[in-house]
Amino acid sequence: MAVKTFAAIDVGSFELAMKIYEISSKSGMREIEHIRHRLALGADTYNTKKISPRKMDELCRVLREFAQIMKSYHVTDYKAYGTSAIRETENTTIVLDQIKNRTGLNIDVLSNSEQRFLDYKSVASQGAPFQKIIEKGTAIADIGGGNIQISLFDNDALVMTQNLKLGVLRLHERMLSMRPRPGQVDELLEEMIQSQLSVFKKLYIKDRQISNLIVVDDYVSGIIKTKVPSEGQEGLMQEEECLNFLDRISLMRTEERAEYLGIPEENVELFDISAHLIRNMVKLMEISYIWAPGVTLCDGIAYEYAEKNKRKFISHDFEKDILACARNISKRYMGSRKRSETMEQICLTIYDSMQKIHGMGKRERLLLQLSAILHDCGKFINMTNVGECSYYIIMNTEMIGLSHMEREIVAFVVRFNHDRFLYYDEIVTDSLLDRQTYLVIAKLAAILRLANSLDKSHKQKFKKIKGELDDRQLLITVEAGQDILLEQEMFKKVADFFEEVYSVRPVIEQRQMA
Amino acid sequence: MDYTNKEYYTNRELSWLKFNERVLSEARDAALPFFERMKFLSISSSNLDEFFMVRVASLKDMVNAKYTKPDLAGMTPEEQLKALSEAIHEFVKLQYATYQKMIQPQMKELGIHLIEHHEELSKSQAEYVDRYFENQVYPVLTPMAVDSSRPFPLIKNKSLNICALLDKKDSKKEETEFATVQVPSVLDRMVRIETKDSEGITLIRLEEVIERNISKLFLNYNVLGASPFRIMRNADLTIEEEEAEDLLKEIEKQIKKRQWGEVIRLEVEDGIDKRLLKILKKELHIATEDIYQIGGPLDLTFLMKMYSLEGFEEYKEKSFTPQPVPELPEGCSIFEEVKKQDILLHHPYQSFTPVVRFIEQAAADPDVLAIKQTLYRVSGNSPIVRALAQAAENGKQVSVLVELKARFDEENNIVWAKMLEKAGCHVIYGLVGLKTHSKITLVVRREEDGIRRYVHLGTGNYNDATAKLYTDLGLLTCSEAVGEDATAVFNMLSGYSEPLGWNKLSVAPLWLKKRLLTLIRRETEHARNKRVARIVAKMNSLCDPDVMAALYEASSAGVEVYLLVRGICCLRTGIKNVSENIHVYSIVGDYLEHSRIFYFENDLQPEIYLSSADWMPRNLERRVEIMFPIEAPQLKERVMQILDLQFRDNVKKRTLLPDGNYKIITDEDAPVNCQEIFRREVMQKTKQLKRDAAKKQRVFIPKTHIES
Repeated sequence: MAVKTFAAIDVGSFELAMKIYEISSKSGMREIEHIRHRLALGADTYNTKKISPRKMDELCRVLREFAQIMKSYHVTDYKAYGTSAIRETENTTIVLDQIKNRTGLNIDVLSNSEQRFLDYKSVASQGAPFQKIIEKGTAIADIGGGNIQISLFDNDALVMTQNLKLGVLRLHERMLSMRPRPGQVDELLEEMIQSQLSVFKKLYIKDRQISNLIVVDDYVSGIIKTKVPSEGQEGLMQEEECLNFLDRISLMRTEERAEYLGIPEENVELFDISAHLIRNMVKLMEISYIWAPGVTLCDGIAYEYAEKNKRKFISHDFEKDILACARNISKRYMGSRKRSETMEQICLTIYDSMQKIHGMGKRERLLLQLSAILHDCGKFINMTNVGECSYYIIMNTEMIGLSHMEREIVAFVVRFNHDRFLYYDEIVTDSLLDRQTYLVIAKLAAILRLANSLDKSHKQKFKKIKGELDDRQLLITVEAGQDILLEQEMFKKVADFFEEVYSVRPVIEQRQMA
Repeated sequence: MDYTNKEYYTNRELSWLKFNERVLSEARDAALPFFERMKFLSISSSNLDEFFMVRVASLKDMVNAKYTKPDLAGMTPEEQLKALSEAIHEFVKLQYATYQKMIQPQMKELGIHLIEHHEELSKSQAEYVDRYFENQVYPVLTPMAVDSSRPFPLIKNKSLNICALLDKKDSKKEETEFATVQVPSVLDRMVRIETKDSEGITLIRLEEVIERNISKLFLNYNVLGASPFRIMRNADLTIEEEEAEDLLKEIEKQIKKRQWGEVIRLEVEDGIDKRLLKILKKELHIATEDIYQIGGPLDLTFLMKMYSLEGFEEYKEKSFTPQPVPELPEGCSIFEEVKKQDILLHHPYQSFTPVVRFIEQAAADPDVLAIKQTLYRVSGNSPIVRALAQAAENGKQVSVLVELKARFDEENNIVWAKMLEKAGCHVIYGLVGLKTHSKITLVVRREEDGIRRYVHLGTGNYNDATAKLYTDLGLLTCSEAVGEDATAVFNMLSGYSEPLGWNKLSVAPLWLKKRLLTLIRRETEHARNKRVARIVAKMNSLCDPDVMAALYEASSAGVEVYLLVRGICCLRTGIKNVSENIHVYSIVGDYLEHSRIFYFENDLQPEIYLSSADWMPRNLERRVEIMFPIEAPQLKERVMQILDLQFRDNVKKRTLLPDGNYKIITDEDAPVNCQEIFRREVMQKTKQLKRDAAKKQRVFIPKTHIES
């Protein structure tokens, strides 16, 4: 049968959700089951860093039931992800092992950026409407239980993303602990939200023109999608209509609101917090249109699965996003665009000509490209300690679409461009890298070092560069009008390392420009 | 405009009594076959028993708790009890007048000799009866005397008993003693006397047999007087669900406790010894107004037993066999047929078998992944329960919600629940605080192009026995939108969060009432804007205050409202500027009218819904109920025809008059009995199908010579 049945499980901070899909190349993704169970794991984790035994029992019970339901649908594959509530437990490993033992289900923990990437994918899975909206300056606000993620688009590519600890449940818990009087609640919320958002605006928005806001959340978007009149696209509404709606609701009593919105009363407070966040973002960025596509993490999980199994026809180029993001970071830290481009070009030339030897794929090529773009971003902070500073900048800057491990690869590759290369035994003392990953770092670092040496003067002396692999030798032919003494000198130094890694000796040959 | 004025409403208990009067009036209708009339008299009696146990009991509870809030019609519980007591006494009088003036004479005419008092037995008959007593009755009797060492015994709810006043032989003291014996329920209430000299059929009631021989139970005593009596206890279960660890156990416990409920009615025969009555009154703690002195045999439900007497076929309604559903011919795959089109089932005219087959086929089909169903009242030895158990054994995921709280069926339901669990079904014992009254079945089937969901939704229970007696509608569909909703319903019933939205179904207690009010108000808006507006609805009971107020508002705005309410209707008709446009009717006929159909004109874009819910607060607020639309044009057309014919009935349809009484407005020249016509129509349809099938058989079958 060409139809695959796939289950996506989201162990979220206030809800366990499972969606079951039928995925086929012919008719795409069809959701056949959506089941949710309210369980505020986050309330435990954010307060005590642990999941209480009672919630653990309930979690396992529901997951066992999920497994049962999966079985009843003859699900062939599943993917279960835990988000911030699991990620932020002190004993994550123990928790996951217990779940595995008690339910048979494997839960993977999503790093924040991975989770956001999936949410982003769920939005992108909407296809054409999404592409149309990001033609204009757009922000995606992904409001979760623990954190919110704001990402900005420029020219249909995502250029930056920032995580803020303003998640709905986190704000709720924090507010409760301050015991405000009913009259103080709104003001308190506004203060908590604005203090962080205004910093965000100063640092990242500046004079960017953002006209659309895409909202992904669990409370408000589903409701405004149906209750506020749409314009053209389903769930697309004018800023004024949306805010008027939210204002109108905020005047109702709790029971009235629950009744009107068709949600349980216990969710009303969380709805309010979400609404506060949206209202603030809309005002801060001077948004004119809001889009609530009404998607969930599960949609992203399934989309990713379909993508991996080549069942889907991806309309959005996620790699382009990552590159745009990296270029934006480079710009932020005063990197030279020209130098970056030269580095990229040299790196990729070498990478491609070494294809037979290193045998790495498209993804590693992307990582190399990112390393080239970010190769000296740390100099913004300290010109003598570029390696370490770059490493920390990269590790602390999110690039949506890059897994945590991939980010670490890039960070190390850039670091070893400047600092002494560390061998595996040295590196594992403070990193969880496995050998395989380590080898990727070594291989990419060797190329980046070589490339760096070829533009040591930062003058982009080479007009054309060619690589040719000949048995144990890599012949790099460069066309240059200027003297390349500095480059040749540097080249010799790094060639040894290159040879150590690849058992191939790089040789440089200069041709005079015609 | 205030539509909550108490003048606009009828008390629901009194309205119920009006309904029971309509049942009784069927017993008084000479046009009906005689045995049917006995049946209706019997039903009016068992109805009243249930009414006492539940409604009167709860009013008593309210009075005991000093609850004084008046109802919609402005009556406090105490006032209601008083009014009821008067009305019921009148009603009982009418019941027994019917028995004596209409039933008894007719029985005699038919050669059925029912001996009312044992004193009337002939000598040979008396001998037969005494022999019967000694052989059959005596061994199962447990007489119980009361004295200082033996307290007053537990008298079982609804049981028939004989009390006796005794005087010890050889005792000089003038001291009487009280004793009682239960008329055993294991023996038939009617004893047939077969002696050579008796003609036709001679019968006597068991209690008369015992009374005649009562001295044999108390050999050392003289029996000064003996008389039958019967009590009714408060039976409304109060279950502390929040505290009940295991609902199943709690209900078992409560059923035992029900035997001990407060006595709320005492029935005795007219002419009972005053001393006996005094003792009963004292020991049972019962007030004078709750004592019913009956001029005839206690508990008329024995009349139902007469129905099983052989012969007399011309005095019974012709037996009718529910007809096959044309869209689902015998031997077809229900799934294949439902895939072609939505299918409407009209019970009892059409057979309930397709629903049973639907579940049986699902149980056996290797492509079926899961079956989910709600069960409220199932029949004894239900084929549905068997099929579900079979499905679980075949490895399907079977989830069944068994509503343990279905009143008076609790014991029955516990048995099913346990059996299904043993077979491997996932059994949910109802929801805390809510009764699950919705009737829905979901079959998840894996097909070539993916999962397909088949759903059966109905207005009546999954009970193959009552499906022959109750009029109900059902829908079989595999519409994706309904399937998604059905999945969501079962997810909710299993304790998961509500869905983000519904496609087609409206579910109580959370959404249904709001939806209903919206639909009614939409008609009101239409009427105000001079668009076509009309509401036609059929249900069992109407007493939800919000719905009624909305209907009054609609009527005032000019919406024509036609209601067919079989039982309780608290709404009043003909109130100036309030309900002039509301017309209320009630059909009480051979079959119990049970379907709920709601039609909204919606400015010539009519919408039709079927539902498991009546327009009562308990249905809309304290039960899980489903309302579902009928959307396929042909089915819509058919439901409209069904409604239309029922409103055209002029034989069994009574009209609610402004004074609160009901009246049949007949047309002698063109009688319309809708149940009769429905029966005739389906039979014709079956004949037609057979003829068509025969026509298709166009191959000649040649006779051939066979070598021997």
